[in-house]
Amino acid sequence: MYRVMENYQLNRTKEASYGHSIIPPCQAACPLHMEIGEYVDLVAQGKVMEALQVIRDGNPFPSICAYVCTHPCEDACRRRQVDEPVAIRALKRFAVEFGGDRMIELEAETTRNEKVAVVGSGPAGLACAYYLRKLGYPVTIFEAYSEPGGMLRVGIPQYRLPREVVDIEVQRLIHMGVEIKTNTRVISLDLLFDMGYKAIFITVGAHQSLRIGIEGEDSPGVIDGATFLREVNLGLKPSLGEKVGVVGGGNVAIDAARAAVRLGATKVTILYRRSRAEMPASSTEIEQALEEGVDIMFLVAPAKVRRENGRLNVACIKMELGQPDAGGRRRPVPIEGSQFNMEFDTLITAIGQAPQLSDDFRLRIGRGSTIQVDPITLTTNRQGVFAGGDAVTGPATVTQALASGRQAAFRIDDYLHHRYPLARTEPEKSPLGELSLKTIEMIRKIERLEPPLLAPQARVKEFKTVELIYDWQSAVSEARRCLRCGMGAEIVFQDKCATCLTCLRVCPYHVPYLDDSGIIQIPAEQCQACGICVAECPAKAIVLRKPYDRRHIDEELEHALKSASESKSKPLIIGFCCQYGLFGTGTLASLWREGKAGIWIVPILCVAKLEEGHILRAFEMGAEGVFIAGCGEQCSRENTAFWVLQRVERVRKTLAQIGLEPKRLQTFNLRTAEADAAEALDNFTEQIGGLYLDSIIKQEVRT
Amino acid sequence: MIVAQQKPVEEIRQLIGPYKRLLLLGCGTCVTVCGAGGEREVSLLHDALRVAQARSGDGTHSFLEYTVKRQCDFEFLELLADKVREVDAVLSLGCGIGVQVVAERFPDIPVLPGVNTSFMGMAKEWGVWDERCAACGDCRLAETAGICPITRCTKGILNGPCAGTKNGKCEANKDNDCAWILIYKRLERLQQLEKMRRYYPPRNFRVIPRPRRIVKKADVKVGEDNG
Repeated sequence: MYRVMENYQLNRTKEASYGHSIIPPCQAACPLHMEIGEYVDLVAQGKVMEALQVIRDGNPFPSICAYVCTHPCEDACRRRQVDEPVAIRALKRFAVEFGGDRMIELEAETTRNEKVAVVGSGPAGLACAYYLRKLGYPVTIFEAYSEPGGMLRVGIPQYRLPREVVDIEVQRLIHMGVEIKTNTRVISLDLLFDMGYKAIFITVGAHQSLRIGIEGEDSPGVIDGATFLREVNLGLKPSLGEKVGVVGGGNVAIDAARAAVRLGATKVTILYRRSRAEMPASSTEIEQALEEGVDIMFLVAPAKVRRENGRLNVACIKMELGQPDAGGRRRPVPIEGSQFNMEFDTLITAIGQAPQLSDDFRLRIGRGSTIQVDPITLTTNRQGVFAGGDAVTGPATVTQALASGRQAAFRIDDYLHHRYPLARTEPEKSPLGELSLKTIEMIRKIERLEPPLLAPQARVKEFKTVELIYDWQSAVSEARRCLRCGMGAEIVFQDKCATCLTCLRVCPYHVPYLDDSGIIQIPAEQCQACGICVAECPAKAIVLRKPYDRRHIDEELEHALKSASESKSKPLIIGFCCQYGLFGTGTLASLWREGKAGIWIVPILCVAKLEEGHILRAFEMGAEGVFIAGCGEQCSRENTAFWVLQRVERVRKTLAQIGLEPKRLQTFNLRTAEADAAEALDNFTEQIGGLYLDSIIKQEVRT
Repeated sequence: MIVAQQKPVEEIRQLIGPYKRLLLLGCGTCVTVCGAGGEREVSLLHDALRVAQARSGDGTHSFLEYTVKRQCDFEFLELLADKVREVDAVLSLGCGIGVQVVAERFPDIPVLPGVNTSFMGMAKEWGVWDERCAACGDCRLAETAGICPITRCTKGILNGPCAGTKNGKCEANKDNDCAWILIYKRLERLQQLEKMRRYYPPRNFRVIPRPRRIVKKADVKVGEDNG
């Protein structure tokens, strides 16, 4: 049969030249610009391995980020406007654990002969080494401490990031051919150049605690947060006594307090000179510390430390908030005459950290003792020397360090190729604005599911990981909350649009509107990408921005029909099934097993995207029966069932007109693990079997 | 807008019976808006015809599909010349006007109607279309408060309501509003109820000379004392 696809192909070429997805806010906020929407959607489909693949493409150490990322993506998530942001980090952790990240082995070939030295094995150093190896360079990492990992090992406590996770990633790097020299402090860069290294990446971190600058700060019993955490993390058990005070309000202060609890301190008090609102530590960490019995005193600062009879007598002063400082936080001002005393066995100071650099490096140092670099090329004042991570930015997040390491690897590659860097100068920004109140009103509210936590009583005894992993069902449900920002519908063929207003009338979210010049607009920031208008547009002028959304049903249908044609089982039944609610939750797998032979499943990403043409094509290719199974009330979108039923009725009418029984097309509203789902399907199969026999007999009578 | 309805597939199959190669021709204007013959409907009809062919085992048609912006103007049809050469007949999903314009442009090829052109009307809501104008050529809507009794009154009477109105509905179809009650209410609202008291003489629609033609351009001659 010949079918000229000219029109079709013409459309496709036009489509292909059209730049699709808009960067969603989560991706724009991620320092690594990971394709978050993509992997969250894959988790929602229950495709964890594929999700992990997407994660690994954008992140060298996903297992580490899965534990400790501060998830700026969630802060940017627009679901926040509706209810709460999607739990992106926990979903990544789910994909990493269930997708089998531990099993992945990486190899890298040496294709270049310029050796590169990385000074420091923190996240930035490891990431830089990872990407340099992928680019084919021989890489050596120099680490001053006994174990590689930098802050991952000596800064972050085990209950937040288990050591095995770091070990696995380090082992993987070694397997890729990265040489790691521990217990090796680099004292001179000239020496490294003499050893034959052509480029050096300095990423020594910020391990030096800042001093408060009060009397008695050097007394025995006062320890700085970075040193304390390093000792704890390297397996020493500093004796703290009963009462411990922690000065500071950042993540290090919280980590130190929670570590002190686990080391047996009975009373741990954090002294912070501002209020809760100004506290830079992540709110989850603060919550968990409070659950574990840590006490936080706000608007209090230590003024003087005196050691008496083996205990510390700390003179404190109450503060109030004054004018905002340059950073926008309100400056704490001491209240006259509000001094009071507190007694501690140990006082941990954690008010900030800075890099500590050898003068012999001869690097230009800027504000806060950090290394000055060009923000695009990461080059320092010395040729061939690059720097990144906390050593450049001051204390920052693991993900920022990974991004900086990745950037360094590519800039070093440019340098060694004598290439001018083609880096973007502007940070990626999401062009998507806020959701409008009108749209928010129409979006279904779905409660955010948090991964389970270890009970506080169980946590405080040891350094076990606090956060557990989602179960399958929760992960899929949570991932389905994603609003698919930037993947919405677009009138891509304005010349075809007849301004019939169908899109405006069928949209469950009331997104399309007529502009002042009488042209239909579908604002990208409001569209929920449900696909209803795409299937209903009589002019075929609308497409979804994501190319996969435009072709997946065609591809899956073709695949199913091809497999079916190779199999002999008859009669052929095609089932279009919602991938999210059915495959995603595993219901479909059992359905498939229970179903009779001859049933071929076409997984679709929401039944609302199914068009009449797909159903007709199944019949054309020999299907005796077709059924459509949606996920029912689990659906995170509006009105999908209504529109599927509309289309089913229209196809039934057509079937009747061409002499096929309308009952050959059925819809099931399948929910999770419903026993009668299989039964209903069996009945349908039997019915189709009967119709099939009838048609065979009729044909034989005719011949 | 012209509102049409696609013919049943079995009727279309009978129409195309004698022809092997067909061009399914959509129209991107009125019939797209009323969901009878736009690009999507062309594609669905194509699918349906292929299903029918595959399932019944008879018919060996092959189809081309194409949709022009408007079938009722020759200029849009120029794009079709090459395609029309490849087929034995054109099945037009345009309105009756489109079918005729295509036939006039391509005199050597049969052009078949794929839709029944129904009326001139509006979309009441998504998926529902109502008739509004009969193209009588003598508009009296100013006298009837913008509500046409010719199309909206079952009997088309000019001096209503008749005795068959009940609770604002028509005796012929209880789902239909009585047009004259609507007219009365709207006139009342506009404070023009005196228009109800006038008598409108009956009109003889049979005297409309068909086919009608409207000439807007003036009959001028260039070069005779006028530049």
